[in-house]
Amino acid sequence: MSRDTSAPVSADDGEADRGGLADRAAGLAAGWAPAIARVLLGLTLAWFGYHELMTPQLWTGYVPGVAATSDLAVVLVLVHGWLLLVLAVAIIAGTGLRLAAAAAALLLLQIVITLAVTGGLTDLTLRDVGVLGLALCLTGNTRQRVMLNR
Amino acid sequence: MRIAGETFGIRGITLLAIAGAAGIVMGIHGWSGRHHGTGPGLGPAAAGPAAPASAHATASAHAPAPSAKPSTQGPLAHASPGASRSPASAAPAPTPGPKLSTQSYASFSYRIWPAPVSTAAKAAATGLAITVRRHGAGIMVTAGVAGQPPPPARLYPTGAAVYVVEAAMGDDSGNTDYNLGDDGLVVTDAQGRILQ
Repeated sequence: MSRDTSAPVSADDGEADRGGLADRAAGLAAGWAPAIARVLLGLTLAWFGYHELMTPQLWTGYVPGVAATSDLAVVLVLVHGWLLLVLAVAIIAGTGLRLAAAAAALLLLQIVITLAVTGGLTDLTLRDVGVLGLALCLTGNTRQRVMLNR
Repeated sequence: MRIAGETFGIRGITLLAIAGAAGIVMGIHGWSGRHHGTGPGLGPAAAGPAAPASAHATASAHAPAPSAKPSTQGPLAHASPGASRSPASAAPAPTPGPKLSTQSYASFSYRIWPAPVSTAAKAAATGLAITVRRHGAGIMVTAGVAGQPPPPARLYPTGAAVYVVEAAMGDDSGNTDYNLGDDGLVVTDAQGRILQ
């Protein structure tokens, strides 16, 4: 039976259309949001990793318990930057995603604790808490769009 | 290959290996340039996050969003009577150099003298202890790292302006600066030329 298209659209039809649109938007978000979150977290880690590797001397102030002017602090920043870069690539590509996200969460947890201990609950600390939450979310995600599975 | 429950394919391992190798190359670059970019004025004194500032020129304003990262050539590589190098006030009169506006770090420089001091300037001075006061026909400037012994003051002629250089505000939080390697101080004469 075909629908009479000349009939006026009822309020129920409008709500059904809106419901359908909302469902489609929710479906789109469910499909793509984890992948977008993954890429954005990876880009964040990659940015910090790149800068820590290229200009480690500018980051030594963050190393806890080590003099910022020491070579040891530079080495620790370089190791940290290298880890961030590799984790970023793994997370963006989606290879070993849960493991990489878990490792990133551990690194971010260490950063949050260090910042909280040295500076208290500041804007920097809370910003990293948000990034930590994003990393934790990804530890439970296995199947996403645009992943390098092989 | 399975590692900790995760399956890694050949393409994934290859990609990670390339990323790791690129990271090593970048790390070698970073290690070789580790002595560049730290401000000769304030860098050597930066032994960890700066303590809350006590000088009146330093404020605890919240830092704005991170700005551009500094280049490997730090803003203090060319100028600035920095804190730890500040000679005594009896030193010879400073000679004018290039104009601050022509320097690459001009956009990262925030005036703290004379007033008014902007909110950005207060944020840029986070972690630093800077004192500027009138002294006879000029101004006496002391600049150091908050929580550390102040260096000797230096006298500048009347009309001098004092700027804090902060390449990246993102390393400041509250009244703590986690990275003093991109901080510094520049004093200019009335024509805007940097006083060496």
